[in-house]
Amino acid sequence: MKIWTSEHTFNHPWETVTQAAWRKYPNPMTPSIIGTDVVERRVVDGVLHTHRLVQSKWYFPKWTNSLIGTAKTCFASERSTVDPQRKQMVLKTINLTFCRHISVDEVLYYEPHPTDSSKTLLKQEASVSVQGVPLCHYMEDMLTSTISMNAGKGRQGLEWVIGRINAEVKGIAESADDFLMKTKHSLDDMTESARKSMDEISVQAAKAAKHIHI
Amino acid sequence: MNSLGDDCTELKKQYDACFNSWFSEHFLKGRHDDSLCAPIFKIYQDCVKRAMREQKIELREIDSEINTGEKEQQKPDHTKS
Repeated sequence: MKIWTSEHTFNHPWETVTQAAWRKYPNPMTPSIIGTDVVERRVVDGVLHTHRLVQSKWYFPKWTNSLIGTAKTCFASERSTVDPQRKQMVLKTINLTFCRHISVDEVLYYEPHPTDSSKTLLKQEASVSVQGVPLCHYMEDMLTSTISMNAGKGRQGLEWVIGRINAEVKGIAESADDFLMKTKHSLDDMTESARKSMDEISVQAAKAAKHIHI
Repeated sequence: MNSLGDDCTELKKQYDACFNSWFSEHFLKGRHDDSLCAPIFKIYQDCVKRAMREQKIELREIDSEINTGEKEQQKPDHTKS
């Protein structure tokens, strides 16, 4: 088993980073992530628990195809908690598709930086294990370096999303009108119960446009 | 960003928009009531669960792969046939 860890500081407050973390995909740096779905979500004792199914495409060298199969769409299960009191967001991801031979587990921790609370510290751990495949160690090394590369891209991707959120906040007054129009438009296709919630979104969007400031 | 089911993608986008607004405007400000997006979440969930059934992705399998140590109560799906 190979274990890989890393730390990174974002020059943005925890609230901004966690908002961006939910909107991390899509971003141009990690095109391998092609879909996410929430399969379970609830608030328990003030902590938000979420279970997401993440679809991605991994590309392995051709010679590994006969060992682990061609990389098609892979599924990963991501369980996360957000505790706004303690200001901690934890995401644990395990891969589901090539479970038989290879397991890749990843944990991300987002917390305010211990010495500067206007910044956010990301701690990242990944473990890789390959079993029952010849050249195990070689494969583990290869996967570990892929993870290391992907982690860098993931951080760049998150920075890109934060940049977009900050730009949106600036432009939100103008775009809120547009958003309200679009929301109204889509109402036609929705059932009565959804209609109720979308009306609330419109109200929230209008409120957000008035009050938001980062 | 797409959903697992092509026909769920539009619902997913609407739900995500609602969630993102709730997360920043309510949850991070200490208001934990999550009923704001509940109606759209329900419709989106029904769609995703249908897509998962169609693509034979079993949540129970997924759960059994995870050692969270905090097993949540799950509806016994066996009753469905």
